[in-house]
Amino acid sequence: MRDQIDKYTEKLLADRSACPDGIAFAAQDDVLITAGAQGLAELAGNTLSRLNSLALVAARPSLPFADFLIARADEQEECIVPQDTETRTFLHDIPFLRQKDLSGDPSPVLAKLLGNRKGVIVEGVGIVAVGAITVEQAFINYSSVFHSTFVKYLQDVLADGFKLPGEREAFEEFRSHWLRPLSATGLDFVPSLPGDKEAILAEIERVGRYTVERGLVDSFFGNISAVAGELIYISQTAASLDELKGCIDPVPADNSSTTGITASSELLAHRKIYEQTGSRVILHGHPKFAVVMSMLCDRKKECSIKDCWKDCPHVRDLGGTPVVAGEIGAGGLAKRVPPVIGASGSAIVYGHGVFTLGREGFGEAFASMVDVENFCREEYFRRVEEEML
Amino acid sequence: MGWTGKLLHVDLTRGTCERREIPTEILHAYLGGRGLGVRLMRDFFRLDPFDPDMPIIFAVGPLCGTNSPTAARLACVSRSPLTGTIYDCSAGGRFAWRLKAAGLDAIFITGQSAQPAVLAIDGARAELLPAGSLWGKGVKETVASLKERGSVTAIGPAGENGVLYANIMMGEGNSIGRGGLGAVMGGKRLKAITVQGEGTTPVADRERFDAARADVMRLFRASPVIFGELGISEYGTPALVDLMAQRRMAPTENFRATFFADSGNYSGPAIKRECGAKKEGCYGCPIQCKKASAQGEALPEYETVNHFGALNGISDLHAIVRANSLCNELGMDTISAAATLSAFGEARGRFPDASEVASLLADIAHRSGDGELLSLGSRRLAEHLGHSEVSMSVKSLELPAYDPRGAYGMALAYVTSNRGGCHLRAYPISHEILRKPVPTDRFSFSGKARIIKIAEDVNAAVDSLVACKFAFFGATLEEYGELLTAVTGVEYGPEALKAIGERIYLTERFYNCENGFSRKDDTLPERFFTEPGSGGEGIDVPPVDRERFSEELQKYYRIRGLDENGGFGGRNILEELP
Ligand code: SF4
Ligand SMILES: [Zn+2]
Ligand SMILES: [Zn+2]
Repeated sequence: MRDQIDKYTEKLLADRSACPDGIAFAAQDDVLITAGAQGLAELAGNTLSRLNSLALVAARPSLPFADFLIARADEQEECIVPQDTETRTFLHDIPFLRQKDLSGDPSPVLAKLLGNRKGVIVEGVGIVAVGAITVEQAFINYSSVFHSTFVKYLQDVLADGFKLPGEREAFEEFRSHWLRPLSATGLDFVPSLPGDKEAILAEIERVGRYTVERGLVDSFFGNISAVAGELIYISQTAASLDELKGCIDPVPADNSSTTGITASSELLAHRKIYEQTGSRVILHGHPKFAVVMSMLCDRKKECSIKDCWKDCPHVRDLGGTPVVAGEIGAGGLAKRVPPVIGASGSAIVYGHGVFTLGREGFGEAFASMVDVENFCREEYFRRVEEEML
Repeated sequence: MGWTGKLLHVDLTRGTCERREIPTEILHAYLGGRGLGVRLMRDFFRLDPFDPDMPIIFAVGPLCGTNSPTAARLACVSRSPLTGTIYDCSAGGRFAWRLKAAGLDAIFITGQSAQPAVLAIDGARAELLPAGSLWGKGVKETVASLKERGSVTAIGPAGENGVLYANIMMGEGNSIGRGGLGAVMGGKRLKAITVQGEGTTPVADRERFDAARADVMRLFRASPVIFGELGISEYGTPALVDLMAQRRMAPTENFRATFFADSGNYSGPAIKRECGAKKEGCYGCPIQCKKASAQGEALPEYETVNHFGALNGISDLHAIVRANSLCNELGMDTISAAATLSAFGEARGRFPDASEVASLLADIAHRSGDGELLSLGSRRLAEHLGHSEVSMSVKSLELPAYDPRGAYGMALAYVTSNRGGCHLRAYPISHEILRKPVPTDRFSFSGKARIIKIAEDVNAAVDSLVACKFAFFGATLEEYGELLTAVTGVEYGPEALKAIGERIYLTERFYNCENGFSRKDDTLPERFFTEPGSGGEGIDVPPVDRERFSEELQKYYRIRGLDENGGFGGRNILEELP
């Protein structure tokens, strides 16, 4: 388990979601082990030992957004409810503990909260997330909470401006220092995807790694595929895009075998996109600014639809990329994305993420995902400035 | 709310039926289904399974009667004549839902009727009817002749004749299988139970319930295994055939091999094509994973096609489907029947051919000819033939269609299961093969002791809710805890539910230990430690490392708070539990 802890500590450092000196893990097999930053490690161990789960991560996020969300919340609120798809589907809501309510050892109350939810925010301390059966799962849940708080905070700032002392400075710091330019330059792509299996797998594995390295996906959400003849090669469900070796399913286009039952939940969407566009590859990730911007809708006031994320029938537009609603898997996404993605080569799903195509290879798909996210990022800051004037 | 707080106490010896209260603390602490049944066995678990005083309990859960997805199910609990362990099995069908509508959380049946009898429940009324004319009849005819009395659960000839793996069949085609509770029912001369009811289950917080239900449904749609185009809703559990072949862990020729070249004949797509499979399933379940032929005949599950197929070296789909139908009609377990035939096949040096299976199955149910010996299950058969090594069972329960050499969590789960070699307790297939909720390395023991322990607790809670395990390829206890809270008005989160599961698991283990089970019974057939499986396509399937296996088992005992021998070290756990 030590090797797992090392591995996911590295991942938290690489994706810059946690402070380098603020990461701790606990895991229990027959004995409890803890590792990482001292105070947090103790908290992690004490909390996990009260839970019927295998692992726990306690880490200080590299951005103060989670704390700001708590400080901005109403007095009687006990959790935040981000509207993105990841939260809606897997986390539901994120409970928090206020600094002022902490006295002595917070682990019993933390354990109680984690007895009901996958992740919790402790103001001034960090995000604590639990993995029911693996260390990886704790990492995934941390990563989802980080993603959700990031998205929600950006949404809230755009809607309500800054409310707290220090917020504006922190936001500026985030904008000018934490964020890095997003680009596809320096990456190698096979210009035209070959037909042979080994070459396809190698290319998918490499591009999967790129999407993680360049911050287009978080935790294990996102998927990738290529079509060759009668087969769709697609990443498996719950596979991390930077570790796809052995995790790509060849699925026959005619459903003659069910080995692809372990394929990504978006298999149907990918299949339909191939049928309707004739493209060779598809990339799907959850870049954060695209997620934020996809949930802005100017019709909100007059629209009678409540569950926009799944029911909105409109196709909106973000810099030439269509935005549609629809749920994961057997939900509506597989119906709504394929008809709109062909023209622009990209589509955004409400609150969820981005799909892009490559007609020849992944170079095009990757570049277009970067373009979509860059557009959304610029547009976001443009709107923030506009609102703040 | 959620519970009715009532059980029907039936004494077949005296011919009485009376309603009794179930204490609220017990319901809160054990939920229903498996947990409630296991708790109610506390004063009886030492009795012989065929002792007339041995109860057989049917229990529903607090979600039954609401439209909680997959929750119109019940558990049947008693002591298994096949394994000697405490035994429970979950089954769907309208019966559970109607039982709840009759105002009951459980039926508790003891005694032995002088004459064949049917227990008929109609709302608040319950009576015992003579059933002499039904005795000896197959399941279909029995169900048909009782159908105006509501939902029916019945035994077939196998249960009447005491086949040690006889099922209780739910009228709608589900079965209470594996451990031979059909024989317990037969021993009581109870041919069938019918139930009719009009009541509804109130929901304490409707808004919260609807939100939780929507969450569950969203997770079902997000799960490739459930609603994916290649998933179980589309193809039923035979969707696993291709996967197990590809993973090289499909038990073949009595587990001498783990790959069967002809398995494509009975894969999910093949069954769909050849039998015109259409969707069927448990009452009120949105998944509808069971399949029926165009003529409405129930089609076999994954375990059944593999065991009548690969395990016996049979590739003829139609022979497999016939064997399944015959088992259902005679009322016996397909996995144990096929595995016992396979052990017989290995012992005598020839597996039964497709044309021979039907008559052998009939012989088993009537205990005639070779059927007499075969009706005892593979462990007793193998010992009788002087080849105890050919019984591929744990605690006498025949192993299902997941070769333990291909998934080490499964290897461990088989031996720690309180009802013997069963895949549904810790159900590690979920993460070792189907990658839910996250994947784990199937060829590693690392962390598995704790993972198995946690999963056993989770599933004990699931079996007490009573929800279907397949729901958890998508949803988690988080959403089901919400449903439960919304229905009952009592707060339950995942951790609280796991604590309930742990309580149930330990109670079962305690019963077993008191009946003489220990470490020596927590082991796999020798073959798995000495013979490799069929590798290929870059996958190597070596024998299970005996030392790592024992080490992990010891770890498991420590995590469970058991001693080195897997026992309670003199502690009476029952005194510590509600
Ligand atoms: S998933 Fe299948 S077995 Fe489970 S309740 Fe639904 S129909 Fe029944
Ligand atoms: Zn996605
Ligand atoms: Zn709208």
